[in-house]
Amino acid sequence: MRVLYLFLTAALLASCQPESRPAAAVVVKDGLGRSLTLPAHPRRVLALAPSMTEMLYAVADTATIVARVPQDNYPAAVLRKPVVNNYPLDLEKLVLLRPDVVFTVEGITSVDDAQRLQELGIPVYYLRFRKVEDVFAGIEELGRLLGRQRQATQLADSLRRKLAALVATTPKSAAPPSVLAITWQDPIYCYGQNTLFTDEIRLAGGQNAVTETFPQPYPALTREYILKLNPDVLLGGSFGKLDSTFFRNYPELRRIKACRNRRVYPITGNLMERPGPRVVESVRELQKLLRQPYVPAN
Amino acid sequence: MPDRRPALWLFLGLLLTLGLVVLGLRVGSYSTSYSFIFNTFRHYDPTDPAQLVLVELRLPRIVLALLAGASLAVSGYLLQTLVTNPLADPYLLGTASGASLGAIASFVLVPSLTVAGVYLPPIAALVGAFGATLLVVALGTRRGRILPAPLLLAGVAVGALAAAVGSLLTFLASAEGNLRSIVFWAFGSFEQAGWRVLPYPAAALAISLFVLAFLQKDLNLLLLGEERAAALGLPVAQRRWLLVLLAAGLTGGVVALCGPVGFVGLLIPHLTRGLLGTTGRYNLLVCAVLGGGFLLACDLLARVLYPPAGLPVGLVTALFGVPFFVYLLRKNS
Repeated sequence: MRVLYLFLTAALLASCQPESRPAAAVVVKDGLGRSLTLPAHPRRVLALAPSMTEMLYAVADTATIVARVPQDNYPAAVLRKPVVNNYPLDLEKLVLLRPDVVFTVEGITSVDDAQRLQELGIPVYYLRFRKVEDVFAGIEELGRLLGRQRQATQLADSLRRKLAALVATTPKSAAPPSVLAITWQDPIYCYGQNTLFTDEIRLAGGQNAVTETFPQPYPALTREYILKLNPDVLLGGSFGKLDSTFFRNYPELRRIKACRNRRVYPITGNLMERPGPRVVESVRELQKLLRQPYVPAN
Repeated sequence: MPDRRPALWLFLGLLLTLGLVVLGLRVGSYSTSYSFIFNTFRHYDPTDPAQLVLVELRLPRIVLALLAGASLAVSGYLLQTLVTNPLADPYLLGTASGASLGAIASFVLVPSLTVAGVYLPPIAALVGAFGATLLVVALGTRRGRILPAPLLLAGVAVGALAAAVGSLLTFLASAEGNLRSIVFWAFGSFEQAGWRVLPYPAAALAISLFVLAFLQKDLNLLLLGEERAAALGLPVAQRRWLLVLLAAGLTGGVVALCGPVGFVGLLIPHLTRGLLGTTGRYNLLVCAVLGGGFLLACDLLARVLYPPAGLPVGLVTALFGVPFFVYLLRKNS
């Protein structure tokens, strides 16, 4: 036991030593096309979005992850890290944590916030995801930046194989079911065409019911618009739950095919919203939901 | 010099409103021709989704916009008369901030938004609206008499308090979805319109206009100030209570259903007086018609400019109402 204490103390002391910043630096372009200078081997990293934290846990040396944001809950080990607020951004705490680089996803951290962090000497690296393949490419990119290429490539390749195996079981259909995924009931917001969901649901054997592209990724919809879409499947809550809330408030929407055929399903919170290493899980879940048996109503 | 032909303006207002109603029935995700609209109203077939949309979604939305515009305009007219201040608007009595507080509380504290099958936000907004109004009236009353100046100040104070508590709740709400609802609500919208809620604001407006039809002369006397109105035999205290009651009833219901749509209650009374003079006999009726038409036009514009869900109507009333208001001010002075 004493030996253990001794070891811990030594480790603690070692971690307290002022770390010499790696001298070598590289200039890279992030997902938004911004140029930044990063240390060649970042030793202190953190992510401002839960999906990025999941990615860091899959790729980086977990000891280099210095903090988490309040929404982070996966993997469970992340809960032991100190919390830093991302909304509003806790600049002081971020400076105190001295990260070599901060990772985030387009749309989660404002470019203004990123600029301020940059001025405080903390580079912010954005990733953006339009396709599931972008997530795999993001994992490899992260591996390159953190000097963990081998792990990252292995992970990305294994995810690609899993996804390919999954997609291979999807029967080719001339008319894949149209799926509307709502994120909020009042006003009704949904996953738009320019979100990762569009690619995920395509891989799962369906198609995003919202085919029009709006400027905002999660557009607000009117009831009339949803009636016109007439989706085959509605995601956003179990039939029982939506029956007593959503369809009760908007009784006109009971006419959509999804409601008449009871193809209304909940999705695991945090799975579809997070473009991280669990993206294949998300596709698997969507595929499972699309395969649920149902009795077509007349 | 104001034009004193109320019948002409009433006719023009109604004609314009009718045109807007027909136009409003056409605009939406389904394309609907005039002949389709005509046929729908002759033989309504609810199994056709386009017909259902027309009758169950577009028409109630139009009616709600008309009712809200008319109610807010009349309410603004009454309160401007009551406090003899041209800057008064329907939200003077704390209605809007009270309703906002109620709605925000329901968004933040009851994430499911539904309790025992009842959709909470409008009810919470109604409770908030009347709670705040009661408080303002209580603070603005001395020995059973409503006094305009304390009423104004009480309105400002209660409004600020409700806004602060609302902001605090908003700040503490962590879920992003809640924030969206709150922001969306604050701008006002007619998207929630449905036939089952429309009877209430319609009844409030009809009763108010009926009662007020007998009171237009009293309103003009009130403008003379308390002493002179009393000297001319007007029961001032009693009339003030009646006006506050009507204004609160008109505003509360509307705000609960569509959120605090701004500006219409300030602009339209001015427009009416500019057209018909300060003491015109048909001012309130014209005010209601113009208010309804104005808000309907704004909603239509909002839907056309930013499909599918439309811009918040409160933004449109401000963006297009303010320049017009400034023009009126310059012209009148």
